[in-house]
Amino acid sequence: MAVHDLQQRRVGGMKVQEFMTSKIEVVDSNSSVYEAAEKMVDKRIRSVAVRFSSSEGDFGVLTTRDIVFKVLAKGINPKKVKVSEIASKPVVCIDRESDMDDAATQMLKSNIARLFVCDQGKIVGLVSLLDVMAAELISHARGDHVS
Amino acid sequence: MHEGIMFLEKILSHGKKERQVTEDIREHIKLLCTACEVFVTALEKQDRNLMMDVIELEREGDAVRRKVISHIYEGAFLPYLRPDLCKFVELVDEVFGLLKDTVSYYLEAGLPAKLKDDSIRVALLNQRMCEMLLITFEAMLRGEDLREKILAIRIYEKKIDDIKFNLMSDAYQVPIENFWKGKVLSDLLSSLTSISDMIEDASDHLQIIHLGTR
Repeated sequence: MAVHDLQQRRVGGMKVQEFMTSKIEVVDSNSSVYEAAEKMVDKRIRSVAVRFSSSEGDFGVLTTRDIVFKVLAKGINPKKVKVSEIASKPVVCIDRESDMDDAATQMLKSNIARLFVCDQGKIVGLVSLLDVMAAELISHARGDHVS
Repeated sequence: MHEGIMFLEKILSHGKKERQVTEDIREHIKLLCTACEVFVTALEKQDRNLMMDVIELEREGDAVRRKVISHIYEGAFLPYLRPDLCKFVELVDEVFGLLKDTVSYYLEAGLPAKLKDDSIRVALLNQRMCEMLLITFEAMLRGEDLREKILAIRIYEKKIDDIKFNLMSDAYQVPIENFWKGKVLSDLLSSLTSISDMIEDASDHLQIIHLGTR
């Protein structure tokens, strides 16, 4: 493939599936916030998917912000709060074939820091603000960026 | 034109032999991009014939490598640049070698369905890294700063490292019939996920050549 061809591609060439994280940690909605916090600190992650029922598409999301602002900062015992009480639902999804531009726009619109990547109603990955920045840097390096 | 750039163009591409070598190196990297692209499609479609095409492309790459090395030893480029250019070409050839190993292991053992998605993602990112290596090479010939390009390659490499971790944890759960099948699967994953390391080494070497010509 010629460099010229590569450089002709716009930022739009950066697909979500190239930047997403495919390992998604899941907690049950009936778990305590304490258990979720344990998992997040142990795995060094900032969010977990929350499974609300056995059906595949029924997911929410719990972030470090939710835990700190809605529970810890208020002096509430995290062992006495269920994940379902503070998790956000439904999750905002994006298609794996979408451009990273669209992911950034969607994050801005919804004022969120991460999007779940969904394929036929199933969560297959996650893209974060850091992934958007990585895509932008690569786009610059490829010469795709148009100011 | 900046004096440094003029100097770089002079030592990298003005002579006939030098032009031939740079053109061949370009061809070598393009072949690698094509091989990686074919490999992604072959994995997606589980197509053994396409896998054989990757092996054929590796052979073509080997011929180009021999051509480049012999031209360099015939006197292309200033002597102090020759070892680094040869080393770069050898590193690209090692990427071809790893790709060929991956294909051979695949043809031997196949790929469990559980590992397919992540393996395709790694293969796709390997392809993107090769494309970025070509862009980096072209930028070096123009005497441009390579910092952004090298960073892009590192970002891709980090992504592959993250996927590798998941891929290995999933692989531990795949039922294995016997020792040899397990070994071949392990070797397949190992070579597939080592390709990015080798491309990163090649890009680092471009940076060394770039610094050496300043």
